[in-house]
Amino acid sequence: MFIVFYSTSNVFRAEEILNEAAIDCKVVPTPVTDKAYCGVCIQTDNDEAKGLMDDMEFEVIE
Amino acid sequence: MIYFDNAATTKYKPEEVYDAVNFYLREVGVSPGRGSYSVGIEASRMLYKTRCTVGKYFGMSRPDKVVFTKNSTEAMNLFFNGFLKQGDHVIISCYEHNAVLRPIQHLKDLGIIDYSVIQRVDLTLPAEEIFEKYARSNTRLLAMTLASNLTGRIVFREDLYRLFKEKGIVTFLDSSQGAGKMALSMKDQAIDFLAFTGHKDLLALPGVGGLCCESKEHFESLIQGGTGIHGENYTNPDVFPEGYEAGTLNMPAIWSLHAGVEYVLFHREELQNQEHVLMRYLMEQLDELDNVILYDRDVDRVSTYSINIKDMASDKLVALLDKNGICVRGGIHCAILAHEAIGTVSTGTVRISLGHRNTKEEIDELIKVLREVGD
Repeated sequence: MFIVFYSTSNVFRAEEILNEAAIDCKVVPTPVTDKAYCGVCIQTDNDEAKGLMDDMEFEVIE
Repeated sequence: MIYFDNAATTKYKPEEVYDAVNFYLREVGVSPGRGSYSVGIEASRMLYKTRCTVGKYFGMSRPDKVVFTKNSTEAMNLFFNGFLKQGDHVIISCYEHNAVLRPIQHLKDLGIIDYSVIQRVDLTLPAEEIFEKYARSNTRLLAMTLASNLTGRIVFREDLYRLFKEKGIVTFLDSSQGAGKMALSMKDQAIDFLAFTGHKDLLALPGVGGLCCESKEHFESLIQGGTGIHGENYTNPDVFPEGYEAGTLNMPAIWSLHAGVEYVLFHREELQNQEHVLMRYLMEQLDELDNVILYDRDVDRVSTYSINIKDMASDKLVALLDKNGICVRGGIHCAILAHEAIGTVSTGTVRISLGHRNTKEEIDELIKVLREVGD
């Protein structure tokens, strides 16, 4: 799944949070043409990731 | 050459800072937020890491809430212009640099705000008395400098910030002087917004500064343009921090800031002790000279001091010291309010600002020239 954000800064905050939680993830180009999101996003197969996104605004694309 | 103008720019940087710039230019060399290829992603990651390093350094609850600008002047213009509204009243101190005074005065000239200046004699009053004397019903912002760029006096008072914040007034600190010399905690010291610059005692390259936002109060962006996100919009997106950072960021300088702040964090005690010893030595030596006028002698200070030689214009002394290979700064130091406060508008002063790389031997050279002037 892809977790997409409005802010690029939040992508790397998410990466930091997931790394600290030992959840495998990768920053990759956002795989959709939806212009509402920034150019990179988080890719992970771990469903727990969504619950760790704190107050950040995000969407999940399966 | 002996360099005593560290309050303007620290000339000598730690090796780690030079290495960081070299690494960024050679191994990364692209801009963050502009490309989703691997090296572009790495640039964005380095940008984020620098935000967090700066935010942690200034004791922020959320260390990524940092907007990068080209220096503290731009950060202050961003904040004052974006935050203040018609009818607001602002309180500043008599030690403010023109980077605070001018944008505030400009907003006053436009008929948007009014402001009051806490006078020198009032700066040591109890916080409650300062509030009673200067605050109005429409006071929205207290904006003060951490330390005077003219005399080195520490102006920031936690008790004052705490009281103003309790009264519902937003607090702002200009940390251009002293950010690398004192431990600050925005979260614990009631500082809502803080402007910093990299090229002074945070030991980075010129060309990077920023605004740390502990408060969630909204403010408008200063410049419009490409933000790397939401390119479909005709104006900047209301997204923090990218919406405030239109245009390509100075990433080599930003990465040098990452190295500079880490260096300061790791060596802070050693740097402080070294500068404290040097400052005390300088003051002891200056005290022995009859021909020297000292300003703000008995105050808590950073390692900056302003002097004059009796019956000698400050520019003449600067030229004489330069002839002897000593760099100091004379004149008004972009701090007209502070010169008005200490009574040196007509003469200017000669500012000696030390850094941790200076030595007692260099101070001896300075004193030797000053002594000869009096003979």
